[in-house]
Amino acid sequence: MMEEKIVNNEKELFGFASFDKYESEHIAAPKYSYWKSVWRTFFRNKFTVAVAILMLVLVLFALIQPSFSGYDPLVAPNVNKEEMRFVKPCAEHIFGTDNVGNEVFDVVWAGAKNSIIISFVCTFINMIIGIAVGAIWGFSKKMDKWMIEVYNVVSNIPFLLLAMILSYVMGAGMGTLIFVMCVTDWIFVAYFIRTQVMIIRDREYNLASKCLGTNTWTMIKNNILPYLISVIMTYAARMIPSLISYEVFLSYMGLGLGVTKASLGRMISIYTSYMNGYPHLFWIPVTVLALLSVSLYIVGQRLADAADPRTHM
Amino acid sequence: MSNEGREVILSIKHVDVTFETGHKKKLVAVKDANFDVYKGETFALVGESGSGKTTLGRAIMRINPCSAGEILFEGKRISGKISREEDRNVVRNIQMIFQDPAASLNERATIDYCVSEGLYNFHLYKDEADRVAKVDKALEDVGLLPEHKSRYPHEFSGGQRQRVGIARAMIMNPKFIVADEPISALDVSIRAQVLNLMNKLKNERDLTYLFIAHDLSVVRFIADRIAVIHHGEIVEIAESETLFEYPIHPYTISLLSTVPMPDPLVEKNRKHIVYDPSKLDQSGEPREMRELRPGHFVHCTSQEFAQYEEKISQMEREQAERES
Repeated sequence: MMEEKIVNNEKELFGFASFDKYESEHIAAPKYSYWKSVWRTFFRNKFTVAVAILMLVLVLFALIQPSFSGYDPLVAPNVNKEEMRFVKPCAEHIFGTDNVGNEVFDVVWAGAKNSIIISFVCTFINMIIGIAVGAIWGFSKKMDKWMIEVYNVVSNIPFLLLAMILSYVMGAGMGTLIFVMCVTDWIFVAYFIRTQVMIIRDREYNLASKCLGTNTWTMIKNNILPYLISVIMTYAARMIPSLISYEVFLSYMGLGLGVTKASLGRMISIYTSYMNGYPHLFWIPVTVLALLSVSLYIVGQRLADAADPRTHM
Repeated sequence: MSNEGREVILSIKHVDVTFETGHKKKLVAVKDANFDVYKGETFALVGESGSGKTTLGRAIMRINPCSAGEILFEGKRISGKISREEDRNVVRNIQMIFQDPAASLNERATIDYCVSEGLYNFHLYKDEADRVAKVDKALEDVGLLPEHKSRYPHEFSGGQRQRVGIARAMIMNPKFIVADEPISALDVSIRAQVLNLMNKLKNERDLTYLFIAHDLSVVRFIADRIAVIHHGEIVEIAESETLFEYPIHPYTISLLSTVPMPDPLVEKNRKHIVYDPSKLDQSGEPREMRELRPGHFVHCTSQEFAQYEEKISQMEREQAERES
């Protein structure tokens, strides 16, 4: 009686399974998407998000505020009003006023705007030229032979000397500054990309592509550059803040933007002389510059980290 | 089986492959390789690590240039400089299956792109729908599902990845396939699956394989003819059963003595034979490939040839006695 029950139960509980040869081929894991994973990794860290917000606020403020304030370095309406000069920061004048009675608040953002525009434009140009040249350079052994000589010559030109000569010859201005910062800098990007391309050029999947008849351009586009997104981002993240500092440095030296354009560098150089009596004139632009550089750098680095698929797990 | 009258698909004529390893230093990876591969057969190239078997395979794929000799495919030279049309023709007809399925797929491309890469390069499809159909068919042929197309290589198991590699080669409809140790990186449990798949595809599509391997039991299973390569020199070529029954060259004998057998008694009494090149004929006479029996070639001097002749006759006599 008991045994019969068990047998019955077995029949109820067990049945023959049908064989499906594709069953084992299914992949249960959710679909992987590269860019979605990048953003997920990036936004996972609260500190990164906070710095990204700070960066966005600074950049947007610098880009938008000057068009409202209408600041022009050649116009100083309060220059003859003694009481309007060297006002310390207060509710009415947030960052105080400077030696000619202009609002430091307006001066700083107008200068930051030019710095940001110049550094972004230069980074973009350097990256585009550098990546294009570097990718072919890394692939072609024939080109490598003479490009390495070009690199040796160009990379040994003293930058300050070149900047001085070019700004005297071409005249100070936005265009000159952008030209100065791009004319030799791209070759460092190209050299960096060349080395990266050489590292992955002879990997087996590239040989496989070659055996399938893929041409060099398609290979650079589909096999090489996707692997370099992370290192390129790291490079760009270093380049943007360093070019902002460069712009400030050159303007400080008197080689950058002309007197008609607002510039953080020239402002800092003028305000340095009032540092003892009115320290806010020096420290406010320097702090804005530091916050801008550091936040751009951190966001860039974190984005580069997130772009590395090894962090996606 | 006589090789007379069989159509030669690939002919390797006195090929040398050398690498420059520094200033005026050269490494000869393949020395005077000389053999024919017949249409429809599986020709295996066996040897130990560093013997030059992969280099020879890559010379056929034109990844490594030949420093001497030439390679003919269907009677036309494919080594050295060739015209653009011929190049495209060769790429379409000779394809390769790589050793390491993890390294040979582009990790940042979907399976869809990996498999259709060859189609894109030669525009082998009428429209987008045709391409999708072809990719689906290629994946189905190797036992994968169309839903895998949007996945990335790292999501697959080793066996699945190798089958993607096979699908990518097969979608070109090649005539000749160089399989460079296609199963050595795979788990033992799925080796048979991949080998059977390769055999199935060969029968369906009238393919010719050059199968590069170091695992002799695998080679015995899949190959029709075997060439044994040692230090860049091919020492013996024979039909696969002949080679296993009448191995003649001391290196082949040594190599065969290492094949593990699933029999404890045999394994217990196994004698490993060490290959000692100093015991060969040292007269200085250049060695060449000599035909000992029809289709059975040995790399030897004339004095060694006489020895081998005697030895093989004796082996044949013993075999005949055992049979009677």
